[in-house]
Amino acid sequence: MRRGWPFYAQLGLTVLLCLFIVVPIVMSALAGVTVNVFKGLSSGLTLRWIFEVWDLYAQSILLSLWLAVACLVVTTLAGVPLAYVLVRRPNRLTRMFEEILTLPVAIPGLALALALLITYGGFGSFRSSWVFILIGHVLFTMPFMVRSVAAVMSAMDMKTLEEGAASLGAGFWHRFLHVIMPNAMPGILAGALMVVTLSIGEFNLTWMLHTPLTKTLPVGLADSYASMRLEIGSAYTLIFFVLIMPLLIAMQMLANPGKKRRAALQPAEDE
Amino acid sequence: MNATAMAQPGSQTVQTEKTGGTRIELARCTKTFPDGTRALLPFDLTINGGETLVLLGPSGCGKTTILRLIAGLEFPDAGGKITFGEDDVTRQSIEKRRVGMVFQSYALFPNMTVAENVAYGLKVQKVERRERDERVRAMLEMMHIDMLADRRIDQLSGGQRQRVALARAIALRPRVLLLDEPLTALDAKLRVKLRTEINSLLRKLGITAIYVTHDQEEAMALGDRIVVMQKGAIAQIGTPREIYRAPLSPFVADFVGASNRLDGRIEQNSLVLGDVKISLDQIGHAMTGDPIKNGDSNSNSRSGQGLADIYFRADGLAICAPDQGQIRGRVEAISYLGEKSRLTVSGIGESVITLDVDPDFQIAIGDDIHCRFNPERLTVFGRYPDARNAAQAM
Amino acid sequence: MALQNLGEGRSRPSFSRYFGVSRSAMASPATFMALMAPGVAIVAAFFLIPLVLVAMEVANGPDGWATYLVILTNARYFESLVQTLLMSAGVTVVALILCGIVGMFLVRNRFAGRSVLIGLLTLPLSFPGTVVGFMVIMLAGRQGAVGGISNALIGEKIVFAYDIAGLFIGYLYFSIPRVILAVMASAEKLDPQLEEAARSLGAPRWRVVRDVILPGLMPGLISSGAICFATAMGAFGTAFTLATDIDVLPMVIYTEFTRNANIAVAAALSIALGVITWLCLSAVRFLVGEKADVTTRGGA
Repeated sequence: MRRGWPFYAQLGLTVLLCLFIVVPIVMSALAGVTVNVFKGLSSGLTLRWIFEVWDLYAQSILLSLWLAVACLVVTTLAGVPLAYVLVRRPNRLTRMFEEILTLPVAIPGLALALALLITYGGFGSFRSSWVFILIGHVLFTMPFMVRSVAAVMSAMDMKTLEEGAASLGAGFWHRFLHVIMPNAMPGILAGALMVVTLSIGEFNLTWMLHTPLTKTLPVGLADSYASMRLEIGSAYTLIFFVLIMPLLIAMQMLANPGKKRRAALQPAEDE
Repeated sequence: MNATAMAQPGSQTVQTEKTGGTRIELARCTKTFPDGTRALLPFDLTINGGETLVLLGPSGCGKTTILRLIAGLEFPDAGGKITFGEDDVTRQSIEKRRVGMVFQSYALFPNMTVAENVAYGLKVQKVERRERDERVRAMLEMMHIDMLADRRIDQLSGGQRQRVALARAIALRPRVLLLDEPLTALDAKLRVKLRTEINSLLRKLGITAIYVTHDQEEAMALGDRIVVMQKGAIAQIGTPREIYRAPLSPFVADFVGASNRLDGRIEQNSLVLGDVKISLDQIGHAMTGDPIKNGDSNSNSRSGQGLADIYFRADGLAICAPDQGQIRGRVEAISYLGEKSRLTVSGIGESVITLDVDPDFQIAIGDDIHCRFNPERLTVFGRYPDARNAAQAM
Repeated sequence: MALQNLGEGRSRPSFSRYFGVSRSAMASPATFMALMAPGVAIVAAFFLIPLVLVAMEVANGPDGWATYLVILTNARYFESLVQTLLMSAGVTVVALILCGIVGMFLVRNRFAGRSVLIGLLTLPLSFPGTVVGFMVIMLAGRQGAVGGISNALIGEKIVFAYDIAGLFIGYLYFSIPRVILAVMASAEKLDPQLEEAARSLGAPRWRVVRDVILPGLMPGLISSGAICFATAMGAFGTAFTLATDIDVLPMVIYTEFTRNANIAVAAALSIALGVITWLCLSAVRFLVGEKADVTTRGGA
């Protein structure tokens, strides 16, 4: 394949864009382990800031992990059956519901948080518990779980599968647990990764919903950016990256499992 | 290996010589992909002006790669040369080559109407508006789709799309028309109908055409000559009749539909199959010479001894009265096909054999039958250990 | 109304209209209802009811129901709205151009390191807005990369993290992964033979782009542009972290709510913001006919 200047021009732009994304990530990661950012790397490397972050923000990090798990449980239990109904019974009612379901993602998190605060802000103990934040996260992440599962379900000709199982005498719940769920697993897995990643990183809603006792990781991050020295903010960001990178990588691997797809411009040799 | 040299003498018969179209020559072409895959082994190929050449072969044999070399979508490795008439186009890109292409997926522009699709090439070439409209109208009329001119592409059936694709490709009066499995996406009945249409269109235009397919029947129906390809090399070039009746290798025989195969021996100028002995002179097509060891007179003569592969179609073996039978078999399955019944018979060779009988012939599964070979319809390949290895190394 | 029925699970007749009578291998209407119940309950209690209440809350404002118009009548809010719209539209256009070129390039070419580039470009997909803000500080802040380089080159630190350029860069930062993914998805669907067909008809490269590639990508570009725009309109964390003096609408809402306790106005502005983004996404769906799938957007 001969590659002319357009190839290299486009490659150049791609690399530039990549640098734009990656350089700040690397800089912040380095700053998090540098003794003094203002003096630069020559001041030496240290884990001091990481420990300091842990002392200051351990609670918020743990709360975020806990929220992500809880959010995953709720969205799976409620979302997988929802996806099943949306795929199996597509009609005006279910489509309308799907529309409503995805609205919390479409409208700004701030507006959603405001609505929740106005409605339930008066219930003191509820307002100040982690469940209040969980609700926001569930509303925001549920569409991702439902969409992801529904996509897999509609691709797998569930009608035939179910009819096959029914012809063998399986009742509905048996079919649901032993035929539908296992076959929808790739979608559930992809949805789960998305839900956990989004929940750990959610800020717009959480900033409004949190109380001093229910700070999550991103809330703590905003707090550290505003009031701590640069190294601590960086170290905290580094912890966030370490938490979230495996999830993102897993998601990318799940998205394209077969890397066998042949080069698009190489001739698809004789179908 | 020089592929053209492999074709039997006289294979380029007079009927293929037409005038008007551009003569195309590929000389010493090879193609290696960036990842190192050798897609095409060195070959020469000449397509006469006005000829329809069919590239036939299984998936991955390199036939599409040859088409793309001629199109200018791929370039041959250094040393290869492609000429259109007197014009060396080896390094010319497709935009400049004046080729017409028809794709398997049709590749019609979904954002344009039928007429706009057909007009696109003329527009790019800045053909003046009035002439453009006139030519588009003529094209659409010729393809019998003038009533679809203002339709959108997604409102067309598969057959209509194929007609639009053809009209678009020939509107520019290209030097060569390249068709890449254009009928594969259609159902069987439509395929036959369009095949006939394409055939008469190509004759009418007298244009040089190269047609890629994996369908043996399509190749026979359309090609002035057929190039059978195998693993990046040309296995045989010849007219449909030559390919069908006189395949040069077991691969070609098998690929063009001689699906029955038996093991036999060659002894003293005869084919021996168990108790059956048939003189080689009676055999329709016998390739008993070792094509590699030409210098060795012993192995190159018909009297040479050795193993033989026998290929034949359903008409190579017929049921007969028990006293006239050469071999016996047992009916395993019967498929009623309307104008004939096809039997699956065991007990003759290692695997089952298919043969055809009159549909009214009274027979049942499990019956023993007696058969006679039709020597005219047999293809025999002498098998020599050396020839085999050499053939594999090709 | 139908939804209420669904929630309470009473009126069988209207329910069976949607969920059918029990056929072979088809769960019974009651089962469908049971399957939907938890999800419906959550959405009804924590989304639909709050939505209605917040809409009514506006009436408690200084001007009653007219508070809804405050976004148009109050100069400060209106200016903020215009600024936010301009900013979001600008980011959308730039992101579409950059990601259109890069996405198409990544789909159409195979080379060593390609998947690494894709991986890196989509990395910030679920970075919260605050982190994106911090990334901008890392890039263009007082200790940032740009400042460091410019200091070495021209002896002067270029710092723009805290003005409108910084905000723009931040919005671009979180838009790129989403738009690239969407562009790549629609580029994958684009038949490469279309380009080959155009070239065989003599079209030079720029005409192939104009006549074939752009029209083919257009639905994908429009819908990913809409998602990009909607995300930018609602982005809060980035502006919050950068603490710019540019008042984007979400920042105004936040200030009204927390500092001024002006709940009615905050509610009215929130609803206006929600309606704008929702309208934008719906318009695209109407235009393109396909769904601008917000679930490819992630949080920002």
